[in-house]
Amino acid sequence: MVEIKQRSLEEVKALSAEEAVEIMRQAGIVGAGGGGFPTYFKYKSPQPHLIVNATESEPGYWGDKLLHKEHREEFLQLFEAMKTIFEFEQISLGVHERDREWFADYVEHADDGIFDVRYVPNTYALGEEKTLVKHATDTRVPRFVDTPEGMRRPGMPPDVGKVVNNTETLLNIYNALFLGKPLTSKFFTLYGPETEIKVYETPIGASVSEVLKIAGLNVQNSGHLSVLDGGPYLHDVSIEEFGEGDAYVRRMTNALFLIPRGRQGKEYADIETECPEEGIVSLVGEISGVNLPLGGGLLKPATPLVSEGDEVEYGQKLGEPVDEGFSVGVWASMEGEISSIENDIVAISGGAIPQEEAEAEATMAGGASPRGEAEPFQEADSSR
Amino acid sequence: MAYVITEACIGTKNTACVGACPVDCIYDADDHFLINPAECIDCSMCMPECPVEAIYPGDEVPENMQHYVSRAAEFDYSKTAPGVEVN
Repeated sequence: MVEIKQRSLEEVKALSAEEAVEIMRQAGIVGAGGGGFPTYFKYKSPQPHLIVNATESEPGYWGDKLLHKEHREEFLQLFEAMKTIFEFEQISLGVHERDREWFADYVEHADDGIFDVRYVPNTYALGEEKTLVKHATDTRVPRFVDTPEGMRRPGMPPDVGKVVNNTETLLNIYNALFLGKPLTSKFFTLYGPETEIKVYETPIGASVSEVLKIAGLNVQNSGHLSVLDGGPYLHDVSIEEFGEGDAYVRRMTNALFLIPRGRQGKEYADIETECPEEGIVSLVGEISGVNLPLGGGLLKPATPLVSEGDEVEYGQKLGEPVDEGFSVGVWASMEGEISSIENDIVAISGGAIPQEEAEAEATMAGGASPRGEAEPFQEADSSR
Repeated sequence: MAYVITEACIGTKNTACVGACPVDCIYDADDHFLINPAECIDCSMCMPECPVEAIYPGDEVPENMQHYVSRAAEFDYSKTAPGVEVN
């Protein structure tokens, strides 16, 4: 099996497509834009044109734009490597018209044959791949496609030779291929009509309540708010009533959007935010416990490699992908003790705040459940 | 450019599109549903949901169904609420 380890640009370029795909699968990379589709599968049958979705379309998001600003060199190296490994004829960065200035650095580098920048209308398009293909190229993804098996299904970008990937997903590919770093963290925007904007990197599986507490929010100042996992338009309800129950940062969490309880996210669709001056703030290593799903959504649960009571290191492999269906590797997003493995969720406790203190604080804050007891995934918002 | 609901919706009115629309821009116009082009954000989410393939991107509507484009543009949306009437 191909090893996940640090590699130079030349070493990455020397990987076969199959090896790179296997690294993506083992590293646990899934579509970070919200879809959660296993990334490795998109590269199993590479297409001629890779389109990088740099259009954050939910109002108020900054995460992807900051990733491009802070990691431009990494993206450029990745594009060069991907072009070789998967033999892309073209790599394009899809950017909103309104973000021309933000991406000006990229345009300067775009003429060396590695990639180009394509501007698309500011029209909000929810990161929908088909709409991005339509605006960034002169190609249309067909509405429906008849398969050789006699089925009819909605058209997809590969039907017209395109692979579309989200910005953060590609950075995760960079981390795996170049740094030997599997997927353990998530970037997201924390904001709301009454809440100061932050862009965080947190361990996957971090308690949403704990992240909010670090952001300075508590039941006294924010108990009247609901927390949405997503933006004004597309979201799940993460915590209905701040202080009651908890939820966890998912591999697809792009924002925690705080709105007054009982209101609808889309009522705040005209929200305007400024990019936070401090850029991305990392809370990796500062979270007291995590709940890591072994599967979920399209993913078949990985086979756990650890047991309750085991001490694990940050970045240790916790789950081996299974061979049937879609499945990806799962890795420890913090060091600590495995406190439970239940319902295909591995809980790790330890780290910054002693567990009792965290629980006492959670109780004082209005009864947030101790980690491991709360339901990790809330029901999807029935309004969508 | 907005998406357009066409003829196959008549007699079907499956409502799956209404549930898929993130901005609630699909209205009940009696014999079929209509997408309000002033509110549609061109996200395409409704299109694959329609079991009878009635929904087209605005610039791909077949010639013989162009009148659905004009009907959607001219409809008075102020008299009806988006979505599906319950009861």
